Amino acid sequence: MKRSCIILALLGLLISTNVLYSQNMSDIRINEILVTNTDDFEDDFGNKSGWIELFNTSYATVDISGCYLTNDPENLTKYLIPRGDILTKIKPRQHTLFWADSEPYRGTFHINFLLTDSKEILLVSSDGRTILDRVVIPHSLLSENVSYGRFRDGIEVKGDDKSTDIEKTWGVLSRTSPSTNNYGADIEPPGMVLMKVDPFGAIMSFTAMSVVFISLILLYVVFKNTGKYNMSLSRKKAERAAAGSKRKVSEEEISAELFAAISAALHTYFEDDEAHDIEHTILTIDKVTRNYSPWSSKIYTLRETPKKS
Amino acid sequence: MENNGIFSLLAENLKTFLQYTGFANATFGHILMILIGLLFIYLAIKKDWEPLLLIPIGFGIVIGNIPLFPGLSISVYEEGSVLNILYQGVQKGFYPPLIFLGIGAMTDFSALISNPKLMLIGAAAQFGIFGAYAIALIAGFAPAEAGAIGIIGGADGPTAIFLSSRLAPDLMGAIAVSAYSYMALVPVIQPPIMRLLTTHKERLIRMKPPRAVSQTEKKLFPIIGFLLTAFIVPSGLPLLGMLFFGNLLKESGVTKRLAETARGPLIDIVTILIGVTVGCSTQADKFLQLKSIYIFGLGAGSFVIATTAGVLFVKIFNLVLKEGNKINPLIGNSGVSAVPDSARVSNSVGLEYDKTNYLLMHAMGPNVAGVIGSAVAAGILLGFLS
Repeated sequence: MKRSCIILALLGLLISTNVLYSQNMSDIRINEILVTNTDDFEDDFGNKSGWIELFNTSYATVDISGCYLTNDPENLTKYLIPRGDILTKIKPRQHTLFWADSEPYRGTFHINFLLTDSKEILLVSSDGRTILDRVVIPHSLLSENVSYGRFRDGIEVKGDDKSTDIEKTWGVLSRTSPSTNNYGADIEPPGMVLMKVDPFGAIMSFTAMSVVFISLILLYVVFKNTGKYNMSLSRKKAERAAAGSKRKVSEEEISAELFAAISAALHTYFEDDEAHDIEHTILTIDKVTRNYSPWSSKIYTLRETPKKS
Repeated sequence: MENNGIFSLLAENLKTFLQYTGFANATFGHILMILIGLLFIYLAIKKDWEPLLLIPIGFGIVIGNIPLFPGLSISVYEEGSVLNILYQGVQKGFYPPLIFLGIGAMTDFSALISNPKLMLIGAAAQFGIFGAYAIALIAGFAPAEAGAIGIIGGADGPTAIFLSSRLAPDLMGAIAVSAYSYMALVPVIQPPIMRLLTTHKERLIRMKPPRAVSQTEKKLFPIIGFLLTAFIVPSGLPLLGMLFFGNLLKESGVTKRLAETARGPLIDIVTILIGVTVGCSTQADKFLQLKSIYIFGLGAGSFVIATTAGVLFVKIFNLVLKEGNKINPLIGNSGVSAVPDSARVSNSVGLEYDKTNYLLMHAMGPNVAGVIGSAVAAGILLGFLS
């Protein structure tokens, strides 16, 4: 029994580790692609090439080193994202860009295939089997310097539409946005938007106070009823206890003051020394006892005096 | 000739050394801030105003305003300095939840559980936050800054630091010092407002003694309280979670050691660190701005609004309560979460008018409700404005 429990626990741990691992990796999405670049952004070598943008949808840094990018579903390990480059760690909600110039010797972010030759792009986990994300390139829709991407970064929806249909989540973008948000980079912070509709904070104050009141009213309702239930329980108990003496116990009688009075009486009764009216008027000076412990002994904390042999 | 060379070298070095001294780098701002720090220390020692807060903050102000030659990795704002490392707890906002853990572990919610309607007073006093928010907006502050300033009205230092570190990091020093200063000034600010808004008859109202609260209710309170408030305002999770967790440690009865650590050594350590680093963050060049004066003004305003709202709410509430169940409006001020100072103020003002009317236990109810209320309010502001 004990052994099977241990085995089950270990299995659970193994599964959870695997889940955690895949959760990390699966936070990465292919976010935007530019197939033909003739007049768009240049790489560090001054070349204009197609590019693939990845986006970390999570709120934790994800290291994509060891993952693969490929354009061939039959060869999932076509381009290995090198290990040991700190730039492969994508910060929370941030992007990274891979140049599809088929020049991998130019660095980590230059992959070994071209997008013009590709039908599909796949991002593969470091196990070389699990496909984390994939996107089919709609060549017919894409002219030069026009990118194809998610309408909202990393999100599977367009506007309020909750559909995961790719046609509604991906599309031709109005402008290219390598290494930056496809949408929302230039939107105002929520506070400023709020200020436009509520310049004096009246709506905000009313809403917020309502929420504070609702929270505390809910607590009030719960504990009002819990208290009632508890009081009825204690009343029943008290009535049962008082049944022998046929005395009815009222609510007032079980107040905190009654308990305090009973406690004080018991304290006086049990603590004989306290139950006297006349002081002994004897002053006693007790010797302070020092309890010995090797932990507090100085002998053990001092170094021994060197002795001549 | 050689001697001349040595002397000129020594003179050169001495001159360089003098450039590094505080005397060479002192400005009027530094001296003023040091005087403010010393005033805090004086008030704490001589007047006994919140010494646990004002001594660390006051001395922190003195430390932070010793004139420094920049670039020595000493100042609280220089990355990698010891003070900067300690300041991370304020900047990243992990000291306030730890303080809330300690507060939870030392707070007895019995007064609130025995008379749950007192929770509503804790909610009403949060008007101070949103009143100050509205005034700050009118005064020209950006919404996020206005939210961070408004939270001073919650009378809760850790919450003020937590929220300002997220909404307006630049104003955090002024907001934190303002919040803690006004918390220390609760016995000065609140009584006149309480007297002004109540009649003699109202001040004499005797409230029913609180009923005995069972241990089961005390254990249930942090669990239910957390689930309800956190589901409504998840953005308040760090503060609410730690507050109720600390309280569960206290009430569970089986984690005495953990509760003692949380309400003892842990909160003491964090209080020292938060106080001294917040004080250090008030460097003259960052702190002495017109904005800081506005923040102090708005902070005072928010305390006044919060106290007024709490007292008036009780008066209005009394209109619907039956005779015998009425609440003494002198406990309305305790809705701000300066625990237990505002409850003590209720008690002392109450005793001025009736020597046998002890309001402390009753005032503790809205006082701890205020802690919950301000954490919820902080969560709302964070959700709306960040």
